[in-house]
Amino acid sequence: MTTLTMTGVSRVFGRGPAAVHAVDDVTLTFPRGGWTAVMGPSGSGKSTLLHCAAGLERVDTGRVLLGDTDITAAGDADLTALRRSRIGFVFQNFNLIGALSAEQNVALPLRLAGRRPSRRVVRATLDAVGLADRARHRPRELSGGQQQRVAIARAMVTRPEVLFADEPTGALDSTAARTVLDLMRAMADAGQSIVMVTHDPGAAARADAVVFLRDGRVVDRVAGADARQVADRLASWER
Amino acid sequence: MLRMSRAGLADRWTLFVGALLSVALGVALVQSSLLLLITAATFDPPPGLSAAERMEFSDGTTAAVSMLGVVLGGAVFLAGFIISSTFAFTVDQRRRDLALLRLVGGSRGQVRRLLLGEALLLGVAGAGLGVPAGLEVMKLQAWLMRRFEFVPDGFTGQWRMWILGVSLGTGLLLAISGVLVAARRAARVRPLEALRETGAAARVMTAGRWIAGLLFFGGALALVIVAPHGGPAGGQAMALNVAMPASVAVVAFAPLLVPLFARLMPFGGGVLGSLARANLRDARRRSASVAAPLIVLVALVVGNTGAGSSFTTSGIDEVARSTHADFVVEGRGPIADVPGVATVSTELSLPGEVTTGQGEDRETEAVSALVVDPAAYSAIHGTPVRLSGRAVAAGPGGDVPKSGTVRLRLPEGDLGDLPVVASVPATMSGGANLLLPPGLVPEAQLAGAQARSFVALKPGADPAAVRAALARSGPVSSLDDWLRADADARNSTNEKIMLIVLGLGGLYALLGVVNSAVIGAATRRREFAEARVTGLTRGQVVRVALLETFAVTGAALLLGVVAASAALIAALATTSAVTGAATLDLSWPLIAGVAAVALTVTGLTSLITSWSATRRPPVTLLAAQE
Ligand SMILES: Nc1ncnc2c1ncn2[C@@H]1O[C@H](COP(=O)(O)OP(=O)(O)OP(=O)(O)O)[C@@H](O)[C@H]1O
Ligand SMILES: [Mg+2]
Repeated sequence: MTTLTMTGVSRVFGRGPAAVHAVDDVTLTFPRGGWTAVMGPSGSGKSTLLHCAAGLERVDTGRVLLGDTDITAAGDADLTALRRSRIGFVFQNFNLIGALSAEQNVALPLRLAGRRPSRRVVRATLDAVGLADRARHRPRELSGGQQQRVAIARAMVTRPEVLFADEPTGALDSTAARTVLDLMRAMADAGQSIVMVTHDPGAAARADAVVFLRDGRVVDRVAGADARQVADRLASWER
Repeated sequence: MLRMSRAGLADRWTLFVGALLSVALGVALVQSSLLLLITAATFDPPPGLSAAERMEFSDGTTAAVSMLGVVLGGAVFLAGFIISSTFAFTVDQRRRDLALLRLVGGSRGQVRRLLLGEALLLGVAGAGLGVPAGLEVMKLQAWLMRRFEFVPDGFTGQWRMWILGVSLGTGLLLAISGVLVAARRAARVRPLEALRETGAAARVMTAGRWIAGLLFFGGALALVIVAPHGGPAGGQAMALNVAMPASVAVVAFAPLLVPLFARLMPFGGGVLGSLARANLRDARRRSASVAAPLIVLVALVVGNTGAGSSFTTSGIDEVARSTHADFVVEGRGPIADVPGVATVSTELSLPGEVTTGQGEDRETEAVSALVVDPAAYSAIHGTPVRLSGRAVAAGPGGDVPKSGTVRLRLPEGDLGDLPVVASVPATMSGGANLLLPPGLVPEAQLAGAQARSFVALKPGADPAAVRAALARSGPVSSLDDWLRADADARNSTNEKIMLIVLGLGGLYALLGVVNSAVIGAATRRREFAEARVTGLTRGQVVRVALLETFAVTGAALLLGVVAASAALIAALATTSAVTGAATLDLSWPLIAGVAAVALTVTGLTSLITSWSATRRPPVTLLAAQE
């Protein structure tokens, strides 16, 4: 059972001698209900891969399948519908809307989808990330870790098939990072598919499998490794 | 969506105060000009005036109505321009927010509706503020018009109930049309742009900009080409309308032109100078948006006052060149009998009404008619006129057909249909519309006419003696003195017209300048904080921002002059075509004043905004990642 399939995906930025092959002929499958981490040196194309997988970035060649849906050539309206119901995002910089309270931020995707968000669902989602008591706070009144948890709640409120996360702990200290990773681990155990880009071997070790990228290509894939093994593997590829 | 609009408005209030002000004052200006125009057009002469006074009165209101028409046109143009550029700028500055909305599932339509919803709120709120503000503006405008004697003392703008609907409609229309282009653009923002730290490298020159730029450039070019063929009145009107399309064209190309011109500015060396230069290169759209209202302001003020005073000077020179006389007597009498006088052209001026055309095309216009002695008039003004019996000639003031028949009504009698058999060339300085031969108007009706006599001396005559003798017929001045007084009067009239037409509009455009400078700085908090954690002191950050502001202002001033020069070229071509001498008269103190005001206003705005944007310690700003 796979939830996301990439076949022969490439993405090139620029032209001629200045062209950068950010993602170069990548074929990958992500299992349903599994947590996959993507690692690699800076500039190896991790973010670009994630964007291609999520339909945020056009691919130059190859195909991306979300479940049975080919999103490679999907139009803007289809991609919008996809973002509303089937995929969720979490990013390094939280990207909450400063004008809205935590609760309103979480309810936003539902409202954009034209659904009337029930207060109960929104509160339950916030409760799941441990922030039921911060519902009425604005993002600037929350710590970084709390902001990131609001962002996770916002991504989860639509019950997406896949959660995409790009360095979700990149801007957090180790305690806040651990809280976020615990949360994601619990989600994955409950059957949520997660694709996460990270620099941190400790974070990657919490995932079910780790994919290594270098110069836009998949160079390795390991399952069930601990932090030290991941770090060693990464170091061997960075050499 | 409307609730989000309200939340957005509340949060980004600095951006929206500017947008609200621009709508409110735009509505105020349009409302005031419209009410004054209607008042003037329906203004009845006070009771108890003689027929002649009534005709002069209607001639005066015609002039006031056309002046207010220009004021109204300018107000609509400026309001449309300032509001749409302010809206576009605020939308541009919120690209990340909008991309974020797209990222969490917002559709293009929703982004558009969000922005239209905001515009709707701003339009209604702007009209709500604009209606009372418009009443104050109207008092000021009416006072200026009375003060400069373009309207009689009793003239005050009159309130009409329906203006409430019109102003609300104006506010909504201006706000909605102002945001349409920006909303279309914003709907194309890619969700991924939410993730880029610094605003996306959005394309600076969109297809829309190219099309608008070329279209308005073509419009300005067409006016410049056609103006010299439009005669004095048409040519002037066209030349005074060149600055608007020319400035819009320059503004459309501003993302290309402003950085180009800004690079020419002296930045000073050192790390601060090069940082400022790099910032300008990086933020081309922002620089262009900050420069836009200033470009329009400079183009309108420099272009239109320059063209206006060139036309006035050209008219003055033309009168001086073509008048062959030694003395001017304000009156008439047995002047020809004074020893030493060679030629005297006594000219009697009467107000009148001319009716031309038949049936549907029938038109009646207020004119000024001049009873002249054709031979003497020809000799004094250097232009041949042959008239006799009931035949009349089209005068230097134009406006009357050069052939056919016209029906002339004078204050004290209808002269019936008169054949137009001749014409003198229309002049830049204007004058009578119709020249009448002596004997056509009964002597009794001439009693109230205003008389002026141009006197040329015989060679060897004693000027002092002649002058003494002439003084019996009325106040005498030498031609030079008379020309000087005439020139002063014409210049002062021109200045008053320019003040009424451009004064409030200029202030409104200046508000647009402040507005765009504030918006440009409002969203730079984070950038400033980053510069400070990199090691710049607060003072250095403020200095870099000031350097950038001066460079952009300097570029905008130059570009404004470029747009203005289109109007000046049209003025040169028109004066050359009409009078044979291309004339350009620029008021350097005014240009220097505009530059000084622009640099002061933008410099102060930059200082205040960047100082307050760096008030909080940089870490607190960088920590709050929204
Ligand atoms: N929009 C873009 N335009 C041009 N080049 C780009 C763009 N986005 C990414 N690249 C290039 O593609 C390559 C991969 O970038 P990407 O952001 O995917 O790397 P990454 O692995 O996420 O790096 P990091 O760990 O530093 O975040 C880089 O060389 C980058 O310069
Ligand atoms: Mg990355």
